[in-house]
Amino acid sequence: MLQRIASGDAAAVRECIDQYGPLVWSIARRLSRTPSDAEDATQEIFLDIWRSAGRFDASQGSDKVFIAMIARRRLIDRLRKSSAEPPMDPVEALEVVAWADPGTASETSIEAEQAARALAELRPEQRQVLELGLLHGLSQSEIAARLGMPLGTVKSFMRRGLIKVREYMNVDAEGVSSER
Amino acid sequence: MTDTRPQDQPDEAMVDLLIKQVTEGLSPAEQRALDVLDSEVASAYSRDLERAAAAVMIAGSPTQQPLPAALAERVAQQAAAHFASPPKIGDSSKARAAVDAARTSAPSAPVRPVSRANRYGAYGWLAAAACLVLAIFAWQRSPSPPVVPVAQTPPPVIAPPVIAPPVIAPPVEKPPPPTPAEERAALLAKSDSLRIPLTSTKDPAAAGVTGDVVWDPATQRGFLHFTGLAANDPAVHQYQIWIFDAGRDKRYPVDGGVFDVPANTAEVVVPIRAELMVRKPAAFAVTVEKPGGVVVSGREHVVALGAIG
Repeated sequence: MLQRIASGDAAAVRECIDQYGPLVWSIARRLSRTPSDAEDATQEIFLDIWRSAGRFDASQGSDKVFIAMIARRRLIDRLRKSSAEPPMDPVEALEVVAWADPGTASETSIEAEQAARALAELRPEQRQVLELGLLHGLSQSEIAARLGMPLGTVKSFMRRGLIKVREYMNVDAEGVSSER
Repeated sequence: MTDTRPQDQPDEAMVDLLIKQVTEGLSPAEQRALDVLDSEVASAYSRDLERAAAAVMIAGSPTQQPLPAALAERVAQQAAAHFASPPKIGDSSKARAAVDAARTSAPSAPVRPVSRANRYGAYGWLAAAACLVLAIFAWQRSPSPPVVPVAQTPPPVIAPPVIAPPVIAPPVEKPPPPTPAEERAALLAKSDSLRIPLTSTKDPAAAGVTGDVVWDPATQRGFLHFTGLAANDPAVHQYQIWIFDAGRDKRYPVDGGVFDVPANTAEVVVPIRAELMVRKPAAFAVTVEKPGGVVVSGREHVVALGAIG
């Protein structure tokens, strides 16, 4: 799809909006301070997608992960530029994140399944640090303040968690490669 | 102690920086620190971390809300404009590619945070705006207001003569497209278009700048037209247009594109291409930026301002 978008295929553009609009919108809402910011961010993200589609490399991951990467990058950029304030998620919202079941996440994407499997191996407090940082856009210092946890511990949890996910993804990718 | 890390593995300090870059962005000092480290290793590792973070984001969003219909329509319209618009005069493809790359492409492209100084950069705009008000006041009191410089010799120069191939170029026989000067004149003739005088600032590049902006809210098209702006070396810096939308955060004006002023140019007409929908235009500004433009201006060099109302 992204290759077709890069060549200016209008149908592929529409397909992309239909297929990935909900993902971009939900990420934008999570990592924006207001609904209006989320709308602006969504438009910017799709502009980034149109511009970057030609650089998509299927060997590096799925369309979905590529788009989520672009969305996160744009949103982090906007968050950094807007202020030091956290995004709009209130503290109560921390409870509502529902992680995909590792057994069914493959319906979403293979990478999501790998991530869900890695997350399932983390201790709850490690998973919570990843959740606050990645899904709610809090900085490490903000996570430390919110959880009453030393900053060094937050850094350590974030690092271990992300490295664990990365390892799962790389191991699986290598496994697939070796089977070919 | 001997470092037993594999050569393709970053050290602990680099991993910390890369994780911070991927999760929350780096300060300028942190970014500089990362820049001096091994870029190949950092780039590969950063890409992996970004993929991991994106996968976690997807895993944490098993149920998603549909994109609101109105927003989906705006995105579709924006896509149509993006793919159909001809190359922007004054915006070389190379320069635009550089902006695009900085914004979205390279996995290790750092998220450039705005420093605290930038947050206070709004005061720079305020100061410039104050100059503008004074200038407008002086202009209004002048017994002979300046004539809009549309008929001068030498004839208008379209800046700069950089043409990139269009993204979609259907091979249809068409008459030659109108020049920006002709398009501006046509836009100016529309009853609902806006014409906003441009005023120079105290920036050295702005001495003697006069001109205006013509903007059509309905079609989201516009042209910057001026004389007196200093010629620039595109390898060193470029001019960038900004549109302040009353419906948006003042700190983030909409990017209107970059352009160049060639040497010995008396008059310039530059098309404005707003990257986002401008709902309620409040002001237009021109800044001096690095080649290719920036996502958010530091506003150190504001060379022209035009406010509505």
